[in-house]
Amino acid sequence: MHGRPRKPQRAVDAAAATANASKLQDLQSQLIHNHHLRLDFDRYTNEAISVCSKLLEINPEINTAWNYRKFAFQHNLHETTNSEHIKSLVDDELRVVEMALRENPKSYGAWYHRKWIFSQGLADVDFDREFLLLDQLLQADSRNFHGWNYRWFVSKLKDVPDPEELEVSKEMVMTNFSNYSVWHNRSVLLSRLLNNKAEGFFEREGILTKEYGFVHDALAAGSKVQSGWFYHLCLLHQTITPNEISLISSWPPHESALVLSAIRDTGYYFTNTRKLPIVLYFNQTVKGVNSSSVIVNSMLFKNEELVWKPLPPTKSEKAACWVTYLQFPDMKSWEAKVYVIEVKIDHSEAIISSCSGSRSIHPLNFRFTLSLNYDNLEFAESVDELLDWTDVESLGVESNDLVSFDQSKLSEDLVSGFSKWQMQTISGEINLIETLSKENCKFDKLTLARLLIAHNAMLSHKTPVTERQIHFREVLELFDDLVKLDPKHSKYYEDEKSLVLMNQVTFDKKSFSNHCSSSRNYISSKLHLHGCMQLRNLSLTRIGYVERLLWVQVLDLSYNKLRSIEGIEALQLLTCLNLRNNQICSFTALQPLKLLSYLKVLDISFNDIGAHPVDTARYLFSSPSTRSVELDKEFLEDYCRSKVDITNNWEAICLFRDLQLHQLDVKNNAVADKNFRDLLTKALPTLMWLDGERLR
Amino acid sequence: MDSSPIDSSSSSSTLSSPTSSPHSAAHDNQSRTLTLSQLEQCKVEERVFEIYRIFSDAPAHTQTLMVELWRDKHIEFLTRGFNQLGPSYHVLDANRPWLCYWILHSRALLSESIDTELENNTIDFLSRCKDKNGGYGGGPGQLPHLATTYAAVNTLVTLGSDAALLSINREELHSFLLRMKDSCGAFRMHTAGEIDVRACYTAISVASILNILDLELVTGLGDYILRCQTYEGGIAGEPGSEAHGGYTFCGLATMILINEVDKLDLSSLIDWVAFRQGVECGFQGRTNKLVDGCYSFWQGGSLCIIQRLLSIAHHQIKSSPISLKHLSVDGNADSASFTGCKPDRSPYQIHDFDGEEAGKRSAIGLEFIKITNEGPLFHSIALQQYILLCSQVLEGGFRDKPGKQRDHYHSCYCLSGLSVCQYSFSKTADSPPLPNAVLGLYSNLLEPIHPLYNVVLEKYYKVQALL
Repeated sequence: MHGRPRKPQRAVDAAAATANASKLQDLQSQLIHNHHLRLDFDRYTNEAISVCSKLLEINPEINTAWNYRKFAFQHNLHETTNSEHIKSLVDDELRVVEMALRENPKSYGAWYHRKWIFSQGLADVDFDREFLLLDQLLQADSRNFHGWNYRWFVSKLKDVPDPEELEVSKEMVMTNFSNYSVWHNRSVLLSRLLNNKAEGFFEREGILTKEYGFVHDALAAGSKVQSGWFYHLCLLHQTITPNEISLISSWPPHESALVLSAIRDTGYYFTNTRKLPIVLYFNQTVKGVNSSSVIVNSMLFKNEELVWKPLPPTKSEKAACWVTYLQFPDMKSWEAKVYVIEVKIDHSEAIISSCSGSRSIHPLNFRFTLSLNYDNLEFAESVDELLDWTDVESLGVESNDLVSFDQSKLSEDLVSGFSKWQMQTISGEINLIETLSKENCKFDKLTLARLLIAHNAMLSHKTPVTERQIHFREVLELFDDLVKLDPKHSKYYEDEKSLVLMNQVTFDKKSFSNHCSSSRNYISSKLHLHGCMQLRNLSLTRIGYVERLLWVQVLDLSYNKLRSIEGIEALQLLTCLNLRNNQICSFTALQPLKLLSYLKVLDISFNDIGAHPVDTARYLFSSPSTRSVELDKEFLEDYCRSKVDITNNWEAICLFRDLQLHQLDVKNNAVADKNFRDLLTKALPTLMWLDGERLR
Repeated sequence: MDSSPIDSSSSSSTLSSPTSSPHSAAHDNQSRTLTLSQLEQCKVEERVFEIYRIFSDAPAHTQTLMVELWRDKHIEFLTRGFNQLGPSYHVLDANRPWLCYWILHSRALLSESIDTELENNTIDFLSRCKDKNGGYGGGPGQLPHLATTYAAVNTLVTLGSDAALLSINREELHSFLLRMKDSCGAFRMHTAGEIDVRACYTAISVASILNILDLELVTGLGDYILRCQTYEGGIAGEPGSEAHGGYTFCGLATMILINEVDKLDLSSLIDWVAFRQGVECGFQGRTNKLVDGCYSFWQGGSLCIIQRLLSIAHHQIKSSPISLKHLSVDGNADSASFTGCKPDRSPYQIHDFDGEEAGKRSAIGLEFIKITNEGPLFHSIALQQYILLCSQVLEGGFRDKPGKQRDHYHSCYCLSGLSVCQYSFSKTADSPPLPNAVLGLYSNLLEPIHPLYNVVLEKYYKVQALL
């Protein structure tokens, strides 16, 4: 463990070493003898105490000796009430600790003994002495985390205000810009002061501006040092983290008029599941969304009966995306009128930001209407024709889609509602890093890319498209460089790049319309779906900006490099999904699909499922591992009877049994053999088309 | 995070890329403005790159020789350490079980068997370190301490004989662990000692490997570890401190062993650990510190553990509340579940060690190792290169970095790290890796370990079979 041997640093001649060793041996055996006397008879002698200190001076690792001193100290304390005497007892202990630290400044036992003595609260602490000791020790080794922990301890004991400690950290940074421990200490102090809005720290902007100036000096000193960059990243987060929670998009969109239909027909929302989702997408992950923090007013449903769930569902119950379902088991009782549904999020303080703990929320109301198409109230079973993805073409835009695009962004003004200071700060940083930037430094490039991304998010929609495109291109080039420069972390960069690509194609109506497929063509005339989106062949490794796609019902992600589809669960209306020709390695990576109750058509052909070890690139596992699955007994017994190889196909069974697919393509995956097809037929009773062949 | 198998030629081309080439010219220009730690970093990089340059310029057969694991030399160094140590080792007087563990675990990794005399002596010595109320001290008669208890138990597990394993008194040990448990949920190193993540790991590892992990030991612990995960992603020694490789391993392994790993922010943890592998190909322990061979295990081991977590999700599904045992479809069904540790047993019944509950809890370790591995999250070949070219001392033993002295601690953790790398592409823990996953000759291959406890896998199975 960390009690690693310290190498012999002094040249000790052999004879002296042997003498020392025998002296040590002698002291050790005395200690052990004393230790047992203490245990058996609770007896302490001054001689024994001094044996301990001699021993600890040579080897501070001997916990037995530290403990002997602790018990002896308490024992002696009982014998006296004289404050002078107590003080001298305390001083003795402190002196032993100092001697021990001289021998080994990383001795757990020694540091703890000092804390222990002060925690007794027996004598006034000479803080000057403590800080002097710390200065000396941190000067000798500025990364000694025992020292840093002790600094926290002493400053808490003395009640040193955080701003003072912040000042100290500044001085220490000046002496060594690359001392990450100081930077870390400073970042912790600063976040605490800002989050608590401590005195002198109300003015977040001014404080952060000063901090930027401070970190620039460090970066100028050498951009290969990680420390400064870490602090810079911390400041960037502080700068762009929205102070206020706000809703950035929703489905149904504000002012939308939905017509529900029991049969498929153009212009209506067909629902044979007899439920309709309401999706809220916040600008950050939040906790506490429930029927009292979000009020849904309508004549159709009781607000109290609505259950809000985070997407993806996690044990910690926090997410940026939340969903509830309006259930309407009996639509026949509906009157022939338009029902208004109003969703209200107010100041209730029940919704909490899970990053900053902030409760301040931008109050917001939105409304939509629901009405029923009375042509046919009997729920028809869905179409059974085969959907051919090659018929989905980018033929132009359907006006409905663009209306949805506009409407789903609830608070345009909020999204671009960054302050002038934020804009200026980020632009300033971009200029600065560009001038600082040296050839081929990965930290430069990564920071620049992050800044440009932040900058892009702040641009208002009035910014000329060309300017935005230039930014996008720049960021994409930076990530390409990073992949070459730092191939060890290429997957991370590819993931980041994918987010930029997603942003690029969805940020405005024009770029967006190039990727919307027409619903006048073959497929949607059969399915009568609204939002069709085509994101083929973009080299995506993950997806993002799903809040802009909440209304999408047909999504073509084929010919990308997707390893994960995390985030797709926000697209609650998704009915047809094409993942053909991607790099999905396991059924676990497809778990988000279980949360899509409308999903009918799925193409996962030409992927790597079952081929080789699964890639666990970060996004894959975080949500599945937080979920557990409950299976009923009948289900299991049913499978056991059918002689399907159940143990080796759990992943697949658990995925597919929750889906109501009509059409599935799995061909050209290593896993897809004859047995597997049998299993799918069993797991998916609703399935009508498998790999283009009619099953039922 | 590259998971594609990379042959050594591509890794050496990485090394000669512009970023990693030594910047001696820049160094001269900048030396006035460089801080102390920058200067140190430059020095290390130059030294390491010099070695790599020689390596990449060498003809193929010389390269093979350069990355050979000098088994005999290592065994010689380790064996010597067991019999006689220089006076400078006096600082380890309170860590003698650690020496036993470092040496015997290293030897086990090298597949070196242990003769009966050495074995008996070790068992005898550790028995004398044992406190009469449970726990092992740093030497005979010394105060029992969690870290030395971990070292002693792992040593006895590594010895693996019935005599070694039966010398452990599990009841006493359990009561010792309970005495070390603090009301905050975490553990103290020793009576009236400090609380930190290291104490938590050593306590839980020992309890888990000996099948005495129960609810009382676990209660509140997950929340303490969670408080130690910093915003950087890694885990610190105590709340508020900075993220550190050793503690990150300890915290992560503990969370898995107590089945609360999903509480951690794993994606930021991966980011933090993965980015600790630097241009030198080895790992650093903390941000902006120098590379150190021992973190091959602490950081590399953490990533190796995480590689298996995806499949934990899969296992959660498998071991859902309905026990498959009753349906007799799964031969392994009686092994415990990750989710099924129901605290329905009264906390006062803890001494029933053969009881289902403690067994189930401890079986997490057993289940873990059965999980399919998903390919490395770090550059495994590059790390092997650092260990073999920079940490390996030709006279035997391993060191922190070129220019440092070898010692047993670094030998143990460099070898453990090397084993982790070699098996990082293998689907199951004990299946032999493909030749291209092992840098150098296939004879470099070490024994596989159980990464949560860091004992040789075969020894782990032995103790599980016996208990």
